[in-house]
Order: sequence, then structure tokens, then C-alpha cells
Amino acid sequence: MDAESFASVTPRAVHQVLSSAGPYDAVSVQALLWRRLLTERGYGGADHAVAIDPRARAGFAPVKALAPAPGDLLVIRYSAYSGQLMPALELPQRKLLVYHNVTPPRYMWNHHAGVAVACALGRAQMPLFARAADVAVGDSDHNAAELRAAGAHRARALPILFDPARLAERGNQPAGEGPLVLVVSRLAPNKRHDLAIGAFAAWQREHAPDARLLCVGESLSPAFRQLIEGVAKRSGAAGVTIAGGLSQADLNSAYCSADVLLSMSEHEGFSLPLLEAFHFGVPVVARPAGAMPEVGGHAVLWDRDDDLAVTAELLELAARNPVLREELARRGRAQLARFSYEKTAAAVIEAVEEALG
Amino acid sequence: MTDPDEALEVARRAAKERRAAGGYQGVGGGGALDASILDGEPSRELLAEWAVIDLDPDEFVYSTRSAGAPVTALKRILVRLLRQYFVELEARQTRFNIAVLARLDALEGRAARERPGPPTLKD
Repeated sequence: MDAESFASVTPRAVHQVLSSAGPYDAVSVQALLWRRLLTERGYGGADHAVAIDPRARAGFAPVKALAPAPGDLLVIRYSAYSGQLMPALELPQRKLLVYHNVTPPRYMWNHHAGVAVACALGRAQMPLFARAADVAVGDSDHNAAELRAAGAHRARALPILFDPARLAERGNQPAGEGPLVLVVSRLAPNKRHDLAIGAFAAWQREHAPDARLLCVGESLSPAFRQLIEGVAKRSGAAGVTIAGGLSQADLNSAYCSADVLLSMSEHEGFSLPLLEAFHFGVPVVARPAGAMPEVGGHAVLWDRDDDLAVTAELLELAARNPVLREELARRGRAQLARFSYEKTAAAVIEAVEEALG
Repeated sequence: MTDPDEALEVARRAAKERRAAGGYQGVGGGGALDASILDGEPSRELLAEWAVIDLDPDEFVYSTRSAGAPVTALKRILVRLLRQYFVELEARQTRFNIAVLARLDALEGRAARERPGPPTLKD
């Protein structure tokens, strides 16, 4: 076998590098989905993270163990600053930057100093990564525009790899009876759970005394979780559950039981829960923040007002109007087709091949 | 109403009607976190608050492991055992922070004094 044909059958290695890996966060889940796809397509490599949650140790190795061969590709997933990501920029291997957006630190300063610093430095140092990448993609047009502004002139959108197979298994049903409003997002200040609770409390008081609110997502910190639990208590609403992170099976069952998905988030780089809600046919009421309008399209009841009474009325429409619910479900299915696994998987491989050169 | 594009307008009207009938009392646009989210640079008062480092280990030391309670307890014991060291660390960082703030105040005061005033008839 000559050198050329040997090269054509030698699997190339693609290594992913993350600042942190956790059990539920969207960036880690994306890294695992990419790994599965890359393995299926014959690529080697491993996934590395600077900080690894004990619950995510099975899928990720420490970044210090990263030792790529000369022709390998580094996929750098950028969502926060980490000093230990910087050496990856110095490596001679070609690089594909995947930008998941960095939360503006103004949300974090008063709630988690360490995360705020990581966000501030993350946004400040993003141009270094943007300029060093051979290929740069953002998981939405919104994120790609930020990359272009940071110096990655040819940055383009490459959506989240959405795998409906993950949504098949079922777990525990949420407790209780009555209409269920679901909030699926990290418990963090920019997600504005305080507003979601306020809108839910108003809806419960005016329209649906037996309604339930289930907030799913890991908390920024135990202290922030206590803060949000206090907000829920003071709102006077009954039936509010701050569940923390749920297994995928339990989350799937929550979607199956939900009447509405609510998002009052003020900053979103993509918003995977929108696609999950479309998959389950759950109507969505959401603020049009960041990339959400491009992901949700016309399949969401957009809350463009700054009035929780209006949000409560949108919840009433989304939960109780069967014809509107059917129309939202139909639009959701159509919107979901734009993000099909096959389409995005092809775009992922195209980006990887382009970056490999 | 069956068109999602009309929903917001319908919701606005419904909210207005309910308010006219005495509903949605005390419901507005704000939330409990509003005041904690910065709108621009941190104020002088906030910087002064941040300058003093004084952490409660019970608030900031925890574990995310599935059976993390014993790990959390162990971490808190370790922090208490090293309390002398951490108190000194906090004190030195606080000393630096308040000295920088004082220097910043002095510089701002000097800049304000040396800033040229509005032109007068004499100019």
C-alpha cells in the first residue's frame, strides 16, 4: 500500500476540548453527540475538559491528557474562559472553533463571582480563539454574528445536533395533577426564573388554581437555588417544584406531561428546550431573546411585552385553547424539520472535513 | 383565536380587561432579580461592598456528587481547620482592594478638580 492510499484509509483523529463537562449541560451533551457521530464515521480521538463534574467522568478526560498527533483536528468548544484552554491555541494542529456563546457577566457579578469572572474573561478573550481557528462556527446565526464581530470573518451557523432518539425513553412522571408549566434551563440569573415564577403565580391566581410549575435544570450554586426557592415562596404560588437536574428519561416524561413550556430567559445562544418542546408537541411561550427567534420561528407564542399579566394570558391561551395548541404543534413539527439530525450531522461532518483541510 | 401570530394582541386585551375588573393586582414587569443584574459598570458602592472578602464556608463549599453530603461535610471541616490561613488570605486581599478603591477615589477627585470648567466671558 502506497503512502497516499494508506492515508486515505487511516482514520483521522478529532479531539474535542471543553472548559467544563457536566452531566446535563448542552455543551457537554453536544460533545458526546458529536463523538458518537464522529466514531460512526470512522474518526478517532477523545474528548477533554478542564473541569469535569464527577457525574461526567465517563465521557471526558482531563485536558492535561490531550496529546494530539500532527494531522489531528482540535474542536474547541467555547462557552466560558478557562486559562487551561489557552495552551490548546498554541498547538500546531488545525482547529475548529464551536462557539456556544458566553453569558454576559452582568448577570453573574452579584450571584457567583467565579462564574462572572469566567464570563467576563471569556467574552474578552473570545477574539483570540476566533482568530486562531481555521474554521469557526456558532450554533446559531446569533452566535456566528458574534464570532464575525470578534474577527472570524467567515464564521457561519452550525446548529445544535438534535437527536430525537434521546427523547424516547421514559422515567418518572412529575408529581401532582393540574395543568403543568415546564421551565427547562439552568437555574441562573440570565434565565430569569423569577419572572417565570411571577408569571406562573399570576396565571394560577387569575385562571388556574390547580396549575403546577416544574423548573428543571442544574443550579448555578446551592445559594442561588435557595434564592429562587425563596422567590417561589414569596410569590404565593402553590405547586412550584424546583427540581434541579433530571435524568433524560425523567425530563422526557416531564415534557410528556407538560401543557406549556415557558422561557423568560434574557440571553440564549440557541435554546435546545425549544426543539425538545416541538418534538413533544408542547406549546411554547417565550421571550424572543438572543437566538430564540431563529430557533423557534413562528412556532412560539412570543412574549414581547414587559408585563407578567400578558405572559399569564399567553399561558392561558397556550394551555387551554385546543385549536391554537394544535396549530402550534403543527408549526413546531415544521420548524423541527429544519434542525433534523441527518441535516445537521451532514453539516458537522462538512465542517470537520473543511477544518481538517 | 386560532392564529399564534394574533396571540400577543389577544393576551394584551385580556390582561387589560382583567385589570379593569380588578385582577392582576400588583403584577407588573419586574422580577426579584432585577436589582441584582448590573446595567453597565458596577457602582462605587457595589465595588466597596465587593472589596471586603468575607466568605461563609457553609454557603460556598459543596459537592455535586450524587451522594455528596459526606464530601461536603469533609470539605467544610477542612476549611475550618485551615481557618487561620484563609482569614489571613481574606484580610490581605481586602487590604489590597480597599487601598485600590481609595486610590481610585483620589484619582477621580483629582481628575474632577483638574477638568476645565465651562468657558467664561473672560475666556
